[in-house]
Amino acid sequence: MPKLTIDDLEIEVPPGTKVIDAAEQLGIMIPRFCYLKELGPAGACRMCAVKFLQGPFKGVQMSCMVDAQDGMVVSTNDPEAVAFRKQVIEWLMLNHPHDCPVCDEGGQCLLQDETVSGGHGLRRYLGRKRTYRDQYLGPFIAHEMNRCIHCYRCSRFYQEYAGYRDLGPLQIADRVYFGRFKDGPLESPFSGNLVDICPTGVYTDKTARFRVRHWDLERAPSLCIHCSLGCHTVANARYREVVRIEGRSSGKVNAGFLCDRGRFGFGYAAHPERPRNAKIAAQNVPMSAAVREAGRRLLEIRESSGAEAIAVLGSGRSCLETLGMVQHLSRVGKWTAPDFFENPQMERKVKAIVSQLDARLAVSLRDVEKADCILAIGVDPVNEAPMLALAMRQAFRKDAKVVVVDPRPIFLPMRFEHLAVSSARIETLLQVLLQVLRQTDLAAPPAPLPQPIQLSEGLLSEVAFDSSVQAQFHALVETLVGSRNPVILCGSGVVGESVSSLAADCAEVLQNAKGKGGIFYVLPSANAFGAALLASSPEHSFLDTVEGIENGTIQALVVVESDPLRHFPDGPRLQAALTKLQFLLVLDYLPSETVRRADIFLPTCTLFEVGGSFINQQGRLQAAEKVHAVGTPIHQATDEAMRSARGEEGGGKHPPRMYDLGIPGGEPKAAWEVLDALMEALVPVAEGTWREDPWEVLKQEIPLLASWNGRGYPADGLHVVPEKRPGAAVALPLETEAHTSPSEASLQLLLVDWTFGTEELSQYAAVMRQVEGEPFLCMHPQDAERCGLAHGDALEVRLEEGSIRASLKVRENMACGVMVLPRHGRIQWQELRNLSGRVPFECIQKISTDTQVIEDLR
Amino acid sequence: MSRYPQVLFQNRKLKRINTLEEYCQSGGYQALADVLREYTPQGVCAAVQEAGLRGRGGAGFPAAKKWESVPADGAFPRFLVANSDEMEPGTFKDRVLIHAEPHTIIEGIAIAAYTIQASKAFIFVRPNYEGSAAILEREIKRAEEAGYLGRRILGSDFSLEIIVHLSGGRYICGEGTALLNALMGKRPNPIKPPPYPTVKGLWDRPTVVNNIETLANVPHIIRNGPDWFKGLSLVEKSPGTKLFCVSGKVKSPGCFELPMGTPLREIIEEHAGGLLEGSEFKACLPGGASTRFLIPEQLDVRMDFDSMGEIGHRMGTGAIIVFDQKTCLVGATLNLIQFFARESCGWCTPCREGLPYLRDLLWRIENGEGKEEYIPTIRSMCKDMWNSFCALAPGAASPVESLLTYFEDEVHEHIVQRKCPFQ
Amino acid sequence: MLPAEIKETLLQRIAHAIHPREQAIDVMTIMQSHYGYMSDEAMEEAGGLLDMTPLELEELATFYNFIYRRPVGRYVLHICDSTVCWMNGHESLLQHLCTLLQVEMGGTSPDGLFTLLPVCCLGYCDHSPAMIINQVIYGDLTREKIDSVIHKLREQAHAS
Repeated sequence: MPKLTIDDLEIEVPPGTKVIDAAEQLGIMIPRFCYLKELGPAGACRMCAVKFLQGPFKGVQMSCMVDAQDGMVVSTNDPEAVAFRKQVIEWLMLNHPHDCPVCDEGGQCLLQDETVSGGHGLRRYLGRKRTYRDQYLGPFIAHEMNRCIHCYRCSRFYQEYAGYRDLGPLQIADRVYFGRFKDGPLESPFSGNLVDICPTGVYTDKTARFRVRHWDLERAPSLCIHCSLGCHTVANARYREVVRIEGRSSGKVNAGFLCDRGRFGFGYAAHPERPRNAKIAAQNVPMSAAVREAGRRLLEIRESSGAEAIAVLGSGRSCLETLGMVQHLSRVGKWTAPDFFENPQMERKVKAIVSQLDARLAVSLRDVEKADCILAIGVDPVNEAPMLALAMRQAFRKDAKVVVVDPRPIFLPMRFEHLAVSSARIETLLQVLLQVLRQTDLAAPPAPLPQPIQLSEGLLSEVAFDSSVQAQFHALVETLVGSRNPVILCGSGVVGESVSSLAADCAEVLQNAKGKGGIFYVLPSANAFGAALLASSPEHSFLDTVEGIENGTIQALVVVESDPLRHFPDGPRLQAALTKLQFLLVLDYLPSETVRRADIFLPTCTLFEVGGSFINQQGRLQAAEKVHAVGTPIHQATDEAMRSARGEEGGGKHPPRMYDLGIPGGEPKAAWEVLDALMEALVPVAEGTWREDPWEVLKQEIPLLASWNGRGYPADGLHVVPEKRPGAAVALPLETEAHTSPSEASLQLLLVDWTFGTEELSQYAAVMRQVEGEPFLCMHPQDAERCGLAHGDALEVRLEEGSIRASLKVRENMACGVMVLPRHGRIQWQELRNLSGRVPFECIQKISTDTQVIEDLR
Repeated sequence: MSRYPQVLFQNRKLKRINTLEEYCQSGGYQALADVLREYTPQGVCAAVQEAGLRGRGGAGFPAAKKWESVPADGAFPRFLVANSDEMEPGTFKDRVLIHAEPHTIIEGIAIAAYTIQASKAFIFVRPNYEGSAAILEREIKRAEEAGYLGRRILGSDFSLEIIVHLSGGRYICGEGTALLNALMGKRPNPIKPPPYPTVKGLWDRPTVVNNIETLANVPHIIRNGPDWFKGLSLVEKSPGTKLFCVSGKVKSPGCFELPMGTPLREIIEEHAGGLLEGSEFKACLPGGASTRFLIPEQLDVRMDFDSMGEIGHRMGTGAIIVFDQKTCLVGATLNLIQFFARESCGWCTPCREGLPYLRDLLWRIENGEGKEEYIPTIRSMCKDMWNSFCALAPGAASPVESLLTYFEDEVHEHIVQRKCPFQ
Repeated sequence: MLPAEIKETLLQRIAHAIHPREQAIDVMTIMQSHYGYMSDEAMEEAGGLLDMTPLELEELATFYNFIYRRPVGRYVLHICDSTVCWMNGHESLLQHLCTLLQVEMGGTSPDGLFTLLPVCCLGYCDHSPAMIINQVIYGDLTREKIDSVIHKLREQAHAS
């Protein structure tokens, strides 16, 4: 390990460490503009110049371009280096517009900071400033090229790091311009990172434009809960409202970057229709009165029909504290076992996944970046968990092979092999793969495999993949055999229930042989893992509850931060069942359909208002801190006050003129607090075990947490998975009947997620309307032809009670026999009753020929 | 005719190239045949090393050493790039060479490619040399037909394809690593080694970039031996001949093949015919636009890499631009810096922002708006150019810095008179 | 749309390349000689052939000197403004050209025939001052020589 001296301080660093990073470890922040550890050195800005006094280099050199070496003596404050850096600043400021007072970057601007700290204050240059024309880059990012200092961070991130191809450097010399070919929305779902990495205000957050000054913000470390990855964020709030989300670097999850869904999807928290008052029969009442009344109604039902007549439903978007409290309340109250999943099939899959994970096998998102071979099974990273695609891209950049097995038309910002097979065939394929891996000497040096691969009796004969898939499969096996660090990614959306254990078995076989690699699952929600840990009863699901409601055994339903009307697969059935219910109590912060149906409604807080803990898909327990106080955002409160005072809008944006004792809209509490209050109303204090600390409850409810003190988190969270998983799954019989013969006149319906427009929370963010596009569905050309349909046709899919309308996209790169339908917010896909999962051809009708397809954003 | 032996120009004709047949008659492609029959790649390297051939593109790096830096276990396919992107003001030797003897270039490429075991070679030609590119393409085809290129050359196991690439046109493309980016269809920003192109160049494969003049020397070295080659030069450490381009205020501007180490005075006064009537030598740029002004007192310097280095100058490409006493050197320098500022690739700050700044200051001085305080600013900025990413900005600073070193009075005069004294 | 034979030539070149990108400049140059300049549509067409996005191609097109992204006249005059030509009277010749063609630097003459652009050293310093018009070099320029060249080009244009 090289040992060097920087500013008289000695440090030993791993080989390959740049001097700029070695200095950072000593707490010496060498000025920089172009250098970003994640992007690697560029040597463009020349700002990180330091003087090398001894060692293999001498004189002024860029500290980002030089590897630390033994015996180096470096001075960061040598007068020659300082003078050069000052000159660099002057150069960079020649054309800068000095518009800091109206720049959103002001106060967190690297250029501002280093101009001041570098000592450049007097303007000498008398030439004209260069000016540029800005571009429209879509609803997320504002463009101000005049501020640009040409550090190339944006184009290097956008193209090299993220793999998108519509933003880059144009022109030459002092006219270099960073932008698109033409005005238009950025195609990358990672575009928001430009805001974070731009060292000045070229790219600013358009959604937050001119709303805050940086120094006025309330900031706190938070988590992204728009998918199951649990990326680290910093939430920025002003006037009781989150205005901006930034990335935060984490050792195990995200390298400081975020996807645009996670960055711009927070609008649900300050949704204008967010219910902030407790309600009885849709009438606002004080929270305490509503809790009392809810307790009374529940006691009444317990008296009349027994405690089992009360059911409770939570969901994976709640924090662990709330889920634990749901479980506790249900247990202490002796209610029917609680459910934490609206979708019973999904519940089984998530539980299976959680049971497969152990500390040895579960790899983190950052580990995915290091894989040399990635096999993605039933997962569509860009659409389901976008940051996973970014991690895969980093592995790809280091020459990793990427293979995707999925029926959907998968796009990834990298080259990859796609085995577009139906969901049922994924299972078959994995069984074959597992068998091949088990009978191959994986530790031996890679050698060409026999063609075809020898398999034991009766395996491939039954599945009969077409020859192109066979060849792809053969190549996949060879890649896996030759790999050193293979990681298997496995989704939970479109795959069958046995896939997760088959994938884990494959990963285990590989890891046993290679000593590296593992498995990475993707779950349906931010805290699905936590929900699965709590959902202990294997037999009970929300489907049982629905049946209970239908047959009258369940009379009261408590819904905690969950929207079954959105997620339960058979919408019409649930609609009908709810009408039979005696009492529906809903706790939530979203203006959901379920909330509107509530007999009593109790408002809860968002993550930003109380913080909370979440377990990500890897089993990593992480915490978000409270960012701002509960209450209606001041601008909204002002508008409301104005409206009620004058019966109209407008009148300026002064602080609220609402004369009340409390904070307007300040009633909501953390869901677990509301549940606690409810418990007080239901259960005598002596029976309860807890009145203050939800963690005491969690430790009772989750054995894995029993030994943990529940105070403070390690920076990377706490990995709460067992040391060893129960063991390899038993071989399953090959599923053959699910295979569609070409003559069958129906398609398998796959309801899927899309980057924008399908995820529950971000759907409530207004800005998502602008990027989600129109509803569409995808079919393979063969299927489209058999149905007599063409790309761009407007379709109606009509099944029993419901129907949806969407335009058709014909895609070559997907499996035959499936119809892929994103759960777009504007279509009632719940009405398609997808429990059966098949759509006969005759149910797919063309409704007009002249409707134009609006292409999705890529 | 020159009183020195002509090597690259031995068959130079007026208005037409030396044809393949003529080239062969004079012993052309014999070296390639010998190499393929008798030499190992190491053998070629050793001969060229022994001859002491140094790169003609400006840096003077030993050619054999560059070839040797391709790792023995380096991946295949490997590439050779012949650099004919001469866009440096004052330089036109490649054009003349291509129009004189294209086959010595082609043969040199074939031998060098064999040496590094490259199967594909590119000739990177600047735009506006469409004529030269057409000649090369035509002659490559003829060489292929004659069996000197293509599959299994002259019955050996060695195959080579040569592709002529016509550049989109930018000075920076002449920089070796930027040139590779340009060839791959990327923006021609330079790349900082390591890894060196000889390890990871085009498409991450070992790639050698040589100037075409360097390559054209190779067949002659093989044919006549290292001692002969050394004997061509007037100095010890820079063997062979050199193509010198002389332009500016001389009677006979042109490209001359002269021994390395020919005194600068002799080149200007004898070979280029001396200065125009009524002109007196004031200064010259001895090696293209990116070298320092050289003054009358230094005219007796020998033109070779080391002799020039000893007096603090660079021979560069050997393109001599002569200025007379009627030419304003502030104006000339402003013109040079305008060139460099416009041709900066825009990657690093000193070059992208610093050169326009220098241009602005020089423009003010030339146009009567100069101030004394600009002089130290210009000096310090010239020094800071050395901390830029590639060699473009330090090259650009060279004439500016030497203007202040040798002609500070002329600069002062501009400032004091508040106008250009030459107008 | 490109004529079939040009498209075929381009596709062959691309197929022969190690990576399609390598042919980006060649494809643009060939298409430009057909279209006169690279319009947005031509850029998209070229991108399609090269498996490059229009942006990726634009990064190159706007870097180089000789890809025209705006309409140009039938003859594009690049007049060398580097050191030797500067020394040998480039400025007065440029003035002369501007008057003769009724254009400013960067503009196109009212008859749409001539576009005047600067260019750095053409490599004809031994025949300075020099300019290049549609790939043909004119050296040792004088006012008279310029007059006759322009006259000839005008006649040529009117004849066709």
